Amino acid sequence: MRLYTKLIAGAIMASVSSFSPVWAGEALDRVMNKGVLTVATDANWAPQSFLNDNNKMDGFDVDVAKEIARRMGVGIKFVTPSWTIITAGKWAGRWDISVGSMTPTKARGEVLSFPGIYYFTPASFAVQTDSPITDKLQLNGKTICATTASTYELYLQHDLTIDAIGTPPFKYDVTPGKISSMKDTSTCLNDVRLGAGVRVDGMIGSLPALVAAKKAGLPIRVVGTPAFYEPLSVAIDKGDTEFDAKLGKIIAAMHADGTLSKMSMKWYGIDYSAGVK
Amino acid sequence: MYADNVIGDKLIHKPKFILGLLAVAFLAFFTFNLAGTMFGEFLRPVIGEPKESGLYGRSAVALVLAVLFVGNLFLISFANIKVQVAIVWIELLLLFLAFFYSFNLKFSFIQSKIGFMITQGLFTTLYISAVSIAIASLIAIVGAVAKLSNNGFAYGIASFYTSLFRGLPLLMQVFLIYMGLPQIGYVIDAVPAGIIALSLCYGAYMTEIFRAGIQSVPRGQWEASRSQGFKFGLTMRRIILPQAIPLIIPPTGNQFIAMLKDSSLVSVIGVWELMFLARTLGQKEFRQMEMLITAAFIYWGMTMVLEVIQSRIEKHYRKKGQQ
Repeated sequence: MRLYTKLIAGAIMASVSSFSPVWAGEALDRVMNKGVLTVATDANWAPQSFLNDNNKMDGFDVDVAKEIARRMGVGIKFVTPSWTIITAGKWAGRWDISVGSMTPTKARGEVLSFPGIYYFTPASFAVQTDSPITDKLQLNGKTICATTASTYELYLQHDLTIDAIGTPPFKYDVTPGKISSMKDTSTCLNDVRLGAGVRVDGMIGSLPALVAAKKAGLPIRVVGTPAFYEPLSVAIDKGDTEFDAKLGKIIAAMHADGTLSKMSMKWYGIDYSAGVK
Repeated sequence: MYADNVIGDKLIHKPKFILGLLAVAFLAFFTFNLAGTMFGEFLRPVIGEPKESGLYGRSAVALVLAVLFVGNLFLISFANIKVQVAIVWIELLLLFLAFFYSFNLKFSFIQSKIGFMITQGLFTTLYISAVSIAIASLIAIVGAVAKLSNNGFAYGIASFYTSLFRGLPLLMQVFLIYMGLPQIGYVIDAVPAGIIALSLCYGAYMTEIFRAGIQSVPRGQWEASRSQGFKFGLTMRRIILPQAIPLIIPPTGNQFIAMLKDSSLVSVIGVWELMFLARTLGQKEFRQMEMLITAAFIYWGMTMVLEVIQSRIEKHYRKKGQQ
């Protein structure tokens, strides 16, 4: 029984020490005191963020995050919770910032704040190479795949509000017959590659991700002009205006000295940082 | 099962049965048109281009497969049981591998990733499962005693606990614990949250197993023990548990095996265990199938090890019981 008592005591000690009270708001102090910026990002979203050949996080978002940490003078750590958990807000200090190409929508603005837009991407429709569909308008009434809780799904539901400055206006051209709501872009891509109408007729996603998938050898084809352009921002938990202002300054500086356009050229081959021309 | 000593003629050695089986197998293979698969490819010299062979190709393939199937059964029936089991295992495994091989997998990709899958993925899966199993066993012992006690308070807590945690999907418990605890002021990381969820859920199932095991020891054992003046703790440790444990072990082993695989559910909160890596590593090059199959074999291998351990422990207690 002595052994059991010890085990129980050990388990209790371990669980107590891993609990820590919520830090009220002061995210910037927490980052500076720890000397580490904890970044939440997706591990399943090439070329924005993915695991590279050395099994380390890599991609455009990862480079941006590293640069932000460098300019803050702190180290960096990545965590990979699911997208729904990140966009739900109330992070309770588990991570400090999301550098995950997040579109600042109105609903998200209620739980998160968006210190700075770092690039714009077109959202486009794609179909399987052999599909008879040649334009996005032909996707009306079809089954279209989109990531759950993403701006793409909101667009399909005709419920997308982006109120960031510099966002071009858009129309709801496509009304899907059915939305297939999937965990991430790659799940959608895998359904599209099966062929037109097998599981879905097409999908909507960020153009850079679609182009990267095509380059990786997936039998897909982008159709029509982009549905909308979305501004993409870093996000932090609501409540720390100091942290917000500091990040805003860092991102403005990264725009000004050409760091962001250089990174965009490296990962996309196109400068998406300057906005829509 | 009980094996009796009446030796009759084997069913498979009767011509009528063989013909019947052949007909059934032929119909079954005919129903699923297999001319377009690799079996059709093997028969190309006979049936020509498999896609254009039509009804002739379809029935030829079905006939060959049916003859192979029944002939195989007939030949195996002459071996002794151990050889039979081995041959059936090898044949099924080969079929399974052929099925995967037809996916056109890129093996060099698997080779480049398998090291990381083991050092990071397998390691995380194993330690999360091991810690959870240890805690779940402790919860189960306490829970079982509480459920059997006459104390209404203890029984109330224990029965509420098992009812709640057996009543919710494990995936939901993982989310509730990870996202719910911070709302009341405790922020825990993904790994401890996963361990808590797995321990509580499996603790609830194992509570019921332990309770049933303890209850299966006849009442007379308690009475005899009490009449000797043994107190509750001593009776439990020396008399009841040693008799209950051999009954508890098989279902508990099942729980261990199930937990090993259910630990994949904590991948939703971003823990880099085997399932998470299986989904993530192949993403950039769209080689998810390779990674999923690799992870599948790793899980299966681990389960086999656990099965062997379980049967060893069972044997140990069976011997002890016979002494």
